[in-house]
Amino acid sequence: MAMPEFQVHQPKTVEDVLDLLGRHRSSVKLLCGGTDLLIKMRAGAQTPEHLVSLNRVAGLKTISYAGGDGLVIGGAARISQVGKTAEVRRLYPGLAHACSVMATVQIRNMGTVAGNLVNAAPSADTAAPLLAYGASLVAVERGGRRQIKLVDFFTGPGLTVLEPGEMVEAIRVPDVSPRSGSCYLRLSARSKVDIAAVGVAGFLNLDLEGKVIRCRLALGSVAPTPLRCPEAEQILEGQTPDEKLIAQAAAACVRASRPIDDLRATAAYRRAMVQVLAQRVLTQSLDMAKGGTP
Amino acid sequence: MKNPAIIGKSIPRMDAPAKVTGRALYADDLKMPAMLYGKILRSPLAHALIKRIDVSRAKALPGVKDVITGADIPQVKYGNWRLVPQSQDELALAVDKVRFVGDEVAAVCAIDADTAQHAIELIEVEYEELPLILSVEEATAEGAGLIHDESKGNVSLVRKIDYGDLEEMFAKADYIREDTFKVHPVQHAYLEPCSCVAHSEEANRVTLWTSTQTPYIVQCLLASTLGLPENNVRVMKVQVGGGFGGKMELRPWEFCASFMAMRTGRPVKFTLTRADELAFGRRRHPMSIYSKVGFTKDGKLLAKDFQVMLDGGAYNAMGPTATFLCGTFGNMLYNYPAYRYFGRHVYTNKPPASAMRGFGAPQAAFVAETQMNMAADDLGIDPIDLRIKNAMQTGDVIPDVATISSCGFKECLEKVREISGWDAKRKDPKPGKGLGIGCFSFISGGVFNWFNTKYNFSAAEVSVYEDGTAQLATMACDIGQGPDTAMRQILAAELGIPIENIRLIAMDTATTPKADLGTWGSRVTLMNGNAVIDAARKIKEMLIPVLFEEMDLNQIHDIGFEDGRVFVKANPKKGLTFGECVYKALRGRRGEPLTARGFYTPRNKGLVSPAFSFGAQVAEVDVDTGTGLIKVEKMYTAHDCGMPINKMAVEGQLEGAIQMGLGYALMENLIMDDKGRTLNTTFLDYKMPTAEDMPPGESADVYTYEPEGPYGAKEAGEGLAIPTAPAITHAVHQATGYRCMETPITPEKVLRALNKIK
Amino acid sequence: MAKQNIELIVNGDRYEVAVEPNRMLVDVLREDLGLTGTKIGCAQGDCGACTVIMDGVSISSCLTLAVEAHQRDLTTIEGLATSPQELHPIQESFVQHGAVQCGYCTPGMVMSAKHLLDNNPKPSEQEIRQGLSGNLCRCTGYNKIVEAIGAAAGKMASSAKEG
Repeated sequence: MAMPEFQVHQPKTVEDVLDLLGRHRSSVKLLCGGTDLLIKMRAGAQTPEHLVSLNRVAGLKTISYAGGDGLVIGGAARISQVGKTAEVRRLYPGLAHACSVMATVQIRNMGTVAGNLVNAAPSADTAAPLLAYGASLVAVERGGRRQIKLVDFFTGPGLTVLEPGEMVEAIRVPDVSPRSGSCYLRLSARSKVDIAAVGVAGFLNLDLEGKVIRCRLALGSVAPTPLRCPEAEQILEGQTPDEKLIAQAAAACVRASRPIDDLRATAAYRRAMVQVLAQRVLTQSLDMAKGGTP
Repeated sequence: MKNPAIIGKSIPRMDAPAKVTGRALYADDLKMPAMLYGKILRSPLAHALIKRIDVSRAKALPGVKDVITGADIPQVKYGNWRLVPQSQDELALAVDKVRFVGDEVAAVCAIDADTAQHAIELIEVEYEELPLILSVEEATAEGAGLIHDESKGNVSLVRKIDYGDLEEMFAKADYIREDTFKVHPVQHAYLEPCSCVAHSEEANRVTLWTSTQTPYIVQCLLASTLGLPENNVRVMKVQVGGGFGGKMELRPWEFCASFMAMRTGRPVKFTLTRADELAFGRRRHPMSIYSKVGFTKDGKLLAKDFQVMLDGGAYNAMGPTATFLCGTFGNMLYNYPAYRYFGRHVYTNKPPASAMRGFGAPQAAFVAETQMNMAADDLGIDPIDLRIKNAMQTGDVIPDVATISSCGFKECLEKVREISGWDAKRKDPKPGKGLGIGCFSFISGGVFNWFNTKYNFSAAEVSVYEDGTAQLATMACDIGQGPDTAMRQILAAELGIPIENIRLIAMDTATTPKADLGTWGSRVTLMNGNAVIDAARKIKEMLIPVLFEEMDLNQIHDIGFEDGRVFVKANPKKGLTFGECVYKALRGRRGEPLTARGFYTPRNKGLVSPAFSFGAQVAEVDVDTGTGLIKVEKMYTAHDCGMPINKMAVEGQLEGAIQMGLGYALMENLIMDDKGRTLNTTFLDYKMPTAEDMPPGESADVYTYEPEGPYGAKEAGEGLAIPTAPAITHAVHQATGYRCMETPITPEKVLRALNKIK
Repeated sequence: MAKQNIELIVNGDRYEVAVEPNRMLVDVLREDLGLTGTKIGCAQGDCGACTVIMDGVSISSCLTLAVEAHQRDLTTIEGLATSPQELHPIQESFVQHGAVQCGYCTPGMVMSAKHLLDNNPKPSEQEIRQGLSGNLCRCTGYNKIVEAIGAAAGKMASSAKEG
């Protein structure tokens, strides 16, 4: 396929971005890293007539953390920048891991976390950890701004609740309380340049006695969208986790999954791996939570 | 034997500075005035009749300069096996019928690539689908339709080897095992997608710059398919971004570029995409293999019955050679009193398989080595001991094949046992960890003249000048393996001049001496190296009389060539600089330059190869029994490549071969659907190992002196792609109990064997 | 499609070119500017052969629109050596350590190595391997490339000290 024809707009402010999105509403896409979009366009899978670039918009790349408020990732913040941010590495190790191992160095330098989410691949590496951390998106459009919980964001492969004319201005991740632990594990046959065949992310927060106050578990690549596992979370919440309980929670994760056979793995393998990875994720998260420092 | 100092040294590649600065030119880097861009229309169906092609809309598109289909081209079939004309089964563009998804149907050239692509999309083709044949079993089943009308039962070629009394030896055997194996397809995955530029400056003459391993083969086959004298086709050097066997035939785009350059009078370029390469490109043969071996109870090999069906895809390509070598390497390494091979090359509706780093040997050795390890377990003999007991050695004769003129195999086995800590580690096995062995042998170039060349297999022309420099002209080509440097090392050693003083002209079929069969079968170092030595010695014969005359020497003296000097060996101070010597020699020649040609063709060297490399490799793995993921922790290799010419280049071959072998065993696979379409057409899903996947390695060189090789050298690099997969397979078995008999090894297969997935 | 005038700053040189908005940076570098050192191995961002440095970070030029590079600071493989005789230490190290075979991945490898060492002057072997994970090579098995980068890092550190 030859690359389809289109026009590129390079606004400098969010207001101008929103104006352009509104004006070309019928056939427009936001461009930032372009690492997913341009491949789809060359394959003819997307044919927008207008691309609105975020690369010259001031202020969208900021990554900030404040105790109590949590982490805010700007809509144009690069995956590699997020992965390198000290607070992310310290407090959100699952996200930091996803941001340091997915795709390639070059793609991480180009691609954005927001783009990874908006692209809505079932295998999106940042989705599972962000789900586990309870993240929300701040979506803006002309004359409006709303917060969308990530758990409500994905509606299908490549599909989200984002309206035409809306853009993700930032990703907000709640602060991490003491006695928390979290982790993201992904599997693929090759260490890099790969799409995860299965990804599992977990977050645990313990009380002083070691009971689980809050648990979030999320899966990637095993359903049409990245997803949370409420049943598994409830098994652990209010309990003191042990090996048996962790295995039960992992089994609930398997029940939540709806994997398919594809090039990268069979459904049977994926189901088995959800069990194995969920156990490992929970065990590691628990160790971290018990260690007192997240 | 003591070699000159420059032989065996780690000399940096002479082409490296151009390559690290981006100055090196590959085919797609070339741009010529008025150049047109070509694109190919390929069949979306794996087996169909072409009922109608309408190119009128494509032709009418502004900017399109030519559109061709099978009806427009000379109906001359081509194929590398010119010796067997009926094996030549390809046309650059399909006529009447398409035989695989990707079969070339039409070609367009236009003023830019987008216009050409657009024109391709405007060509209408009406097909009538035919039943698909996607496996060797279906192809050879009774009543199967024919992919080529000329083939009997879709078998294009049969190779049989039979010596010793098989029945008698199996009757004598205390232990017999029969197994069937399946090996999967993988691709060369050279980083440079194929590309070429053709230019026709004079009517009926064409020059082609192309990413090829075999300029001479391309020249000859291009001439025959264009209906031109060979002398009217010139194939020229560009840098080649890897080949591994995937660039050693005439390819449709080379034909189309040349044909359309002649028709339009403008240069035409074709460059493939990665998706073209992965979906439609050549690949290593998948095979179905039956093997039966018999041993005495103390581990002496008695007999082997080896039956192979090669899944050749839609055309022969280099499949015939793979069919031959698969038989040869089914019984290499060990002495078999009786051996029978029955190999069939089978057509299927898949992209053609062809040569890939080992031509049938990796598959044959995977089976042979895996069975050896199975037998060792059953016989209760250590796998290395079992091999040593049966190992070939120098002087062994393989009936109808060769006499082994140098062989360090036993030494390799001993060395690899030592460096891998084999005995200690096997005594104390750790859960999830395993150690496995695989061995190899490979040819140093082929003897069998399937291309039916009238010329010597290799040739070199050396000219020397009074400024002390030399020029080496050869058709041999460097596709990354390093002969541009190694050949100059050999010439520098012969003439005793600095390597920097040697200018190289390579890979130009019009100006370099005929011929060189190209880069394949690990032939260049030995064959072209010998041709360089031959030419250099002829030059020396022209220079030596100068010294005798100048110094009035007694005829018992011998003359040395070292350090830029030509001197009397008995009295090295007596002599001339190399340049002075050339100058004086020239004065006696009435203006005729000092130029000599050297040649090499293996003669009286059996049917297969003048020399064989040997080696043994041990893989150490750690298997995560929860996920089935396999981590190769270390590779230990001992290999006998004769005397290396460039040590660093040999190391590079070894390390690169491990990457390819590791990918073959664990990650790489071309996955197809039931319509014959390849599904993984990106490097994202065709998983070759990255820098992070590569294990550390340790190696030991076993030096033998190969009498037929230049300075004792023989094959290095291609054979090394053989042992890794069987070694890893064995190690995974030791770690988990899972024995892979249908490659590749995947985490899922491991877990299924462990009953962790039902 | 209307062409857009853009200004590319490549290796310190300014080029004014008119490009269609759908053209990729790698194609403009190679075809319009004749800087063919940057290679195309996959055009999908998987192989790293097209790696260039834009505003200090390594990117895949096959997935970057040329118009997006307007007035950005670009370094390509042609911009590293000060002259054919004076290679950049990474380039020199690639030559000396046998890190080059067919050479097609080499420009991208060198650019990724530069990005790595610019950000991490003393990488461990593991960090070098991670830094190259977006660059595929089929010839070398990567080991000599990893060694070359390690050696270049050492050399650059000691010459920085002297300087």
